[in-house]
Amino acid sequence: MQQREEKQLEASIDALINRVAHLKNSLHSFIFKLENEYDRLTWPSVLDNFALLSGQLSTINKLMRSEKTPAFRNQVIIPLLLSPDRDEELAKLTEQRVPVFSHEIVPDHLRTKPDPEVEEQEKQLSTEAARIGPDVAQKQIQTLNKLCSNLLEKLNNPREDREAESSAMRQNKPTFNPADTNALVAAVVCGKGLSNHRPQGPGGTVLPGGGPMLSGGPNLQQVTMQRSTNQQAAMGGQGPPQQPGKMPSSIKTNIKSASMHPYQR
Amino acid sequence: MEAPPVTAMPVTGGSIHMMEYLLQGSVLDQALESLLHRLRGLCDNMEPESFVDHEMVFLLKGQQGSPFILRARHSLDRPAVPWHLRYLGQPEVGDKSRHALVRNCVDVSASHSLHDFLLEMGFRMDHEFVAKGHIFRKGALKVVVFKLFRILLPGNTENTEPLSLSYLVELSVLAPAGQDTVSDDMRNFAEQLKPLVHLDKIDPKRLM
Repeated sequence: MQQREEKQLEASIDALINRVAHLKNSLHSFIFKLENEYDRLTWPSVLDNFALLSGQLSTINKLMRSEKTPAFRNQVIIPLLLSPDRDEELAKLTEQRVPVFSHEIVPDHLRTKPDPEVEEQEKQLSTEAARIGPDVAQKQIQTLNKLCSNLLEKLNNPREDREAESSAMRQNKPTFNPADTNALVAAVVCGKGLSNHRPQGPGGTVLPGGGPMLSGGPNLQQVTMQRSTNQQAAMGGQGPPQQPGKMPSSIKTNIKSASMHPYQR
Repeated sequence: MEAPPVTAMPVTGGSIHMMEYLLQGSVLDQALESLLHRLRGLCDNMEPESFVDHEMVFLLKGQQGSPFILRARHSLDRPAVPWHLRYLGQPEVGDKSRHALVRNCVDVSASHSLHDFLLEMGFRMDHEFVAKGHIFRKGALKVVVFKLFRILLPGNTENTEPLSLSYLVELSVLAPAGQDTVSDDMRNFAEQLKPLVHLDKIDPKRLM
């Protein structure tokens, strides 16, 4: 009877070591990928790695739960000899990760209970769970299940009406303005709206200085008023063709006279 | 004055003639965050880089009609980085089915005395602006999202005001002439940014 149990124990431990070795290898390659190829990594491949790890963890869980596995809880491991000296065989067995079987590594490697902080948290959670009572707990479980199934349904079934409602939402909040696009591109390409250096068109008033112009002011106003009426007439197709040509020259002469003889007017 | 066409340039060794493939769009300020999140997911996984650049556009009026345009750019937040001088040719009027704007592009680095040098050469500064934004990369694709600021007093880059309520989004690739698969890749990438931004080839002549 004991031999059978021993055999079972050995077999299950071997299987466990096998599975854990697989897990270690995939963790190793994942960490390598994260450290060396992080700038080329895509989200789907990261998800693949996580899926692999989760699959391996669940096989380990299944193994532990299977009937063939005796309860490891009943086995006790006692360290018989602790020494601060380097143990070559142990180092070889553990791929240089555990070179010394000493007082420092024993609490970590031979641990049977969770960390004190984790134990605290677990205790808190279980008192919390006991406090709210079974009915409330049941209702909370049901709400959680319903929310999860709703979400899964939404994610798994692409529906046409979903497209319609999301496109309706999008129309209310436009995220770009084509007029702005054109304005920005024009600014980048030819400086429209940016430059103060380019002289403006004929409508602009690039006048040197304010003082001399005061005297020329009324003249100019007269000229521009005449010009605008002329333009209107020209638009009607009836204005005399010479006057639009004359107006700019009169403006120029006004400016010249005003700026060159500021005190004579 | 236009740079001589690609085929007539002597092969003296050194640089291959690069063409810039360009798609442009814009995004309103409110939607900027979602666009940046989406770009961080789509593009290469790097630290998001932001930049503040001051660009000056210089013109040289020749005897012919159209002036020669050079763009000088320098970084305002990384002052030690050299200046960058760029020449952009006229967009290639070719295949209408090509999805991106293609133009000849020559890029050089320059020292900090570039501004004075160009003025001495006879160039005149036409306009300048400050661009502040973020840059993302995906392989050879470069996505730049930036806001244009108008400079109120010439030469004073502190005193600026935004030109509009939108950020300009530019998707560009520098590739040797003749590679048309590039524009297909760009269009596929642009599809993924819809409906936040519509990246399109915008003909600069239409906006003049």
